[in-house]
Amino acid sequence: MQVDLRKPEFVMKLGRLGSFHQSKLSFLRSFIREFKDWDFQTHILELDNFGFGHGVYVVQKGNKQYSLVCFSNHLDANERSDRVIATKWDASFVLYDGIPSSEDIQRLKDNVPLQEQGRVTEKELCLSRANKSVRVFEHVVDQLSQGHQPDTSLLYSVGYLYRTTAVYGSGKFGLADRIKIQDRGELKGPFRLEMMLVYLARQFTFDVVNHVAHHRSPSTSVKLSDDIARNLGIGNSTGLGMAPFIVNHPALLNQWIMAKEKALQAIRSLSSVKEKEIETFQSYLSTIQDNIKYWKTDSDYQVQKNDQLIHDLKDFQEYFYSKKIEKFFWNDVYEWAEKNTEAECCEFIVSLMMEVYPDIVEPLSYEMSIDEEDYFDIDTSRNINEICQLIEKQYTWLLEVDFKEKDNIYNFWYYSKNKQEPRLSDRFSEEGAELELPLAIARDIQNLYKSLKEMDPTKDLSFYLSKDQQYRHVLRRVFICEQLPYSEIQDNTISKALVPVDMLRLKLSFFGATRFDPRSDRWVRITMYQGAPLMKEISLSNDSWSYKKIA
Amino acid sequence: MHSLYEIETTVKRSAKSQGLSWGVSEEIGKAVRVLEQSGLQGLESFKNIIDYGFDNLIKLTDINQKETSNLCPIHFGIFFQDQSHLKEMHQTFEFKSLQEPLISIPFLIKAAKKNLIYFHIHSNNLKISITPSEMTSIDQNKIPNLINNFSMHVTPQRQSQYSDKTWEGLYQLSLETFVEETEEKKLSGAGAGLSDND
Repeated sequence: MQVDLRKPEFVMKLGRLGSFHQSKLSFLRSFIREFKDWDFQTHILELDNFGFGHGVYVVQKGNKQYSLVCFSNHLDANERSDRVIATKWDASFVLYDGIPSSEDIQRLKDNVPLQEQGRVTEKELCLSRANKSVRVFEHVVDQLSQGHQPDTSLLYSVGYLYRTTAVYGSGKFGLADRIKIQDRGELKGPFRLEMMLVYLARQFTFDVVNHVAHHRSPSTSVKLSDDIARNLGIGNSTGLGMAPFIVNHPALLNQWIMAKEKALQAIRSLSSVKEKEIETFQSYLSTIQDNIKYWKTDSDYQVQKNDQLIHDLKDFQEYFYSKKIEKFFWNDVYEWAEKNTEAECCEFIVSLMMEVYPDIVEPLSYEMSIDEEDYFDIDTSRNINEICQLIEKQYTWLLEVDFKEKDNIYNFWYYSKNKQEPRLSDRFSEEGAELELPLAIARDIQNLYKSLKEMDPTKDLSFYLSKDQQYRHVLRRVFICEQLPYSEIQDNTISKALVPVDMLRLKLSFFGATRFDPRSDRWVRITMYQGAPLMKEISLSNDSWSYKKIA
Repeated sequence: MHSLYEIETTVKRSAKSQGLSWGVSEEIGKAVRVLEQSGLQGLESFKNIIDYGFDNLIKLTDINQKETSNLCPIHFGIFFQDQSHLKEMHQTFEFKSLQEPLISIPFLIKAAKKNLIYFHIHSNNLKISITPSEMTSIDQNKIPNLINNFSMHVTPQRQSQYSDKTWEGLYQLSLETFVEETEEKKLSGAGAGLSDND
């Protein structure tokens, strides 16, 4: 039986992309698989009694070394903000290429806590900062200092001690450009350095609470138990900054989605299934149904999605338990899920199916990077008529959108002057639309199509471009989409109906985030590495940690 | 020193601030990045063009156009990048003057590689051949048959090819593509009004 890849017009809708879940392809999991045989050590931990100071964690294998340099500073409650407009944080981090000298640490101490206002060099690879979950941090320190383990129901309802509020890489603020590291074998997956930074920062959060608890009461304190620590991840609080990334990197987006779609296609194409594989699937399904109760959110949007997921999973479980083993078992399972469940549940089941087949899925994680420069140039020898046909075929959905309708052009994306971060505003009531970022892809491709249609269709694109360069930025996307079918989100990113948090969720699911907790339609908190092996036990990881019971 | 990422984005945005389209601004960002990575003064050249003013430069949009003095090197480069697959382009053309020819070179290199063609630019003060191979020769006749007592510095460190003043000028222009933040925008633009002390 021939199982096709799912069609881009089905997969690339934001409602579905915004329902993706973490999987074996997620970057934090491929990071652990790649680095599990590296040596992880606490190199320096110099903190005062209140946990302020610095720490250095070293990851090495042979002569390859990376270090996370962490700074912990006092922060008044009125200065604590997850927003990008914040200027101070409880902790700041930088990933260093090698092991830093004391001069390097001093230089970093002067700059890293300042984040965007500081300056780093090409010796540094990633930059980040984090704030405490004050409630959880104080509770944990208090309990540990008195010789007790903390209340796990409180801990797991939050899921972390600190949450990062931005992770920067690839040349920002003077960091090393990606070309410096792109040929290193261990960094072949996307965002691998960012994943390393966050993983090591998680260890720092445990070391800080243990240190502060000990100094609060040296005679009675105990250390946070490994079982509890393992079930704590590190949080992340993120706003719109992430959203333009997936529009600005169409070739990369294709690689991520294509890896997932190839995995699904391969699993659906399996003609037989073993009892053991079904048991594994059932066991993960049952664990995750228990863990979902820790996905706390006040967001009506997410509450509704989670409730629907729980409801759909119950139906699915009934179906699955009664299903006979037949040929193309997984194809039947997928087709049932697609027909009978909402996207949130269907995509969850896809992630779960991928867990059962590491030999199919894990190699695909090496196909998730791409040299985007190879897709930048426009083939100007192509015929105008041919390009119009390409647009009609690839972008059918957008040709039907009426961009004269106010609601279809309601939003505009821009960079704010004071923080240089992407934002989204109402075009009709706020100023600045003339400085709109080129993220209105649907509108601009429709305009490109209209202007091509006014040209002699027998001429080639070089003729068109000699007359008009206004839509050059989207013309190159038409070529990318021709070669890379999952490169375009098939929704209008300036529509009034846009739910920006779906764009964040798409990217975060590929990072490996769980417990999506939208704080508004453009702001979300998530957890990373919850359940992951601790630094000292990473070599024992078998990549099944995402499906362990939290409590 | 600035990263290549910072150079590319600052050039792209400052080009946009001068009225170029986003697509052309993306092209010039990449071109200057390549020049700086190659140890050439791309950023300084680009700043010179901006100081000269795009309004004072002539865009090359038709190979038969009469006005070819003060040609804009960005549009000159893009023109040949876009057009040189055409057979009628494979001949010798005469132009009156081209500002900051360095800026055109990355575009011509791309065109040479893609179409397997050669560009030979000859003027009183510059001779340059751009070929489909990795080598670009600048006045090859000036390479001697022998060099003596020479040194060779090997370093992974890229050298900055521009002044702080040039960078600051371009950076300020790049900010012109950003939107001034009002209190209303702060509240609505990125999801605010949250307590983060929880």
